[in-house]
Amino acid sequence: MLNKLLHKHHSELPLKEDKANLFLEISTAISVFLFSIALAAYFMISTVIKTWNSNIIDGLTVQIMPSQQTISTDEEALRVGKVVHFFEGLDGVKKVVPVNEEKIKRLMAPWLGVNADIDALPIAKLIDVRLYDGKNFDFEKTADNLKEIAPYASIDNHGIWLKQLVKSATSLKTLSIFVLTMVLVASVFSIMYAVSTSLKVHQNIIEILHIMGATDAYIAKQYAKRGFIVGLMASFIGMFFSMLCLRVISHLSSGLETGLIGSARLDGLHWFLLLCLPFGVAVLSMLTSYLSVKHTLKEMM
Amino acid sequence: MQTHKNILTQPIIDMQNVCIRYGVEPDVLSNINLTLEKGSFHFLTGKSGAGKTSLLSMMYLALKPSKGTVNVFGANIGYAGREEMAMMRRKIGVVFQDFRLLEHLSAYDNVAVPLRVRGMGENEIKKRVKELLTWVELDKSMDKICSTLSGGEKQRVAIARAVINRPEILLADEPTGNVDDDIAFKLMKLFVELNKLGTTVVIATHSTDIIARYNYPQIHLENKELKIIPALRRVRNVE
Ligand SMILES: Nc1ncnc2c1ncn2[C@@H]1O[C@H](COP(=O)(O)OP(=O)(O)OP(=O)(O)O)[C@@H](O)[C@H]1O
Ligand SMILES: [Mg+2]
Repeated sequence: MLNKLLHKHHSELPLKEDKANLFLEISTAISVFLFSIALAAYFMISTVIKTWNSNIIDGLTVQIMPSQQTISTDEEALRVGKVVHFFEGLDGVKKVVPVNEEKIKRLMAPWLGVNADIDALPIAKLIDVRLYDGKNFDFEKTADNLKEIAPYASIDNHGIWLKQLVKSATSLKTLSIFVLTMVLVASVFSIMYAVSTSLKVHQNIIEILHIMGATDAYIAKQYAKRGFIVGLMASFIGMFFSMLCLRVISHLSSGLETGLIGSARLDGLHWFLLLCLPFGVAVLSMLTSYLSVKHTLKEMM
Repeated sequence: MQTHKNILTQPIIDMQNVCIRYGVEPDVLSNINLTLEKGSFHFLTGKSGAGKTSLLSMMYLALKPSKGTVNVFGANIGYAGREEMAMMRRKIGVVFQDFRLLEHLSAYDNVAVPLRVRGMGENEIKKRVKELLTWVELDKSMDKICSTLSGGEKQRVAIARAVINRPEILLADEPTGNVDDDIAFKLMKLFVELNKLGTTVVIATHSTDIIARYNYPQIHLENKELKIIPALRRVRNVE
């Protein structure tokens, strides 16, 4: 079918036999391979970040550990009050509510069993802090400041390390965008190089075509067609290997499928976009060929 | 349509004080003035190296003058854009001295080139190309790749390619150098017929036989200069 497409319009230029084709096919295949891996990585990281971000809830819990020595109820209330006061004075805090003891006991009952004498157990006091915006709340600084005024209190630090993970994942995401751009630029340049080499090789034929009244566009179209076909074929080869690679990676990491990494999945839309890649590359290769032929011809004669 | 008067009086090729030079070499032709009326027929003569091919390549817009102005179809080729040049070239048929066929293509595809570049449909192309190739007695070799054709066959393909478009200007560089006499005169008849239909014709040739047989003026190149030898005087000289 591709051959039919190629021969439907007659090409005077024997571009099919160009030595540059092999170079172009290999370099495009490698580019597509790298591009699709980087793109898959980008999609996966984005999904992970989204999952992690949604896990950072707009709130945090402060625990006040029961003291080793027995302390008075008043002292205990004072400690709680200090923490409550600290949070009430913070920006971005919506509400501070000490969780009452009855509720804690109720929450713990299933673990301790009905017969346990809960009253006899030393129980941590919990303070529930509601935030306006958990994503932009500086958990780390808050934890540090809290430690200074109330060393006995600790923040449930789930959000802290999740935020750090998001931060490093975001820089990975930036890196993958960088890789995508570099691959794109490199392949555009190699197409331009191959085209200008080919134009020199076929200079004689091009001159004849010009004298017969061919426009630059007529010649550029023949290159565009070849660019599309080479781009498409090379992309399929590159995609084949990158899909193989992604399968192997996902197989190897299937053992690790625990909460955090487990969310590093490609969804339907991502697969669709990845599979569109060969056509995107073919179109890119077509346009690049077309434009660089037109540009080079203008300089040539 | 243009008015008839305009067509008749307007020169189709006009050169004023034209010099041709390659690189830093001395001029091949200096201060040439030449005006060709639409519908005229000229032979182009001169010794080998006199500059016949160079003069023709300026007429088919492959060479720009190093000095002076060249107007083709009334447009100064020094200022014409690429698109405009392409459109002008479509109205010019060229037979190159060394044929310059696309050797990897068949005779048919070579002759089809001028029609394809203007986007003509394949059915119409087939009709025209077959007809013309039959006329130049190449119907049997239509699908042969050009590199396998003989010199005379290539020449006929080159001529077919030049006239397939019914050009307004036909420039032929030694078009009968490689063919038998009977074919040479048959081809000359083709050029004469095209000329009668309004095509302006310039034929570079060494063949005194052909020049003597037709009563056309001669553009003669010698010592970097151009001289027009009118038809009648020349015929008298020959006799
Ligand atoms: N592309 C070129 N580069 C440099 N010099 C050239 C080029 N083409 C022609 N010349 C020189 O210009 C001069 C005229 O050459 P041209 O081909 O126009 O002669 P001609 O009359 O067609 O000769 P012939 O009858 O042998 O075909 C010659 O001296 C030739 O060496
Ligand atoms: Mg010559």
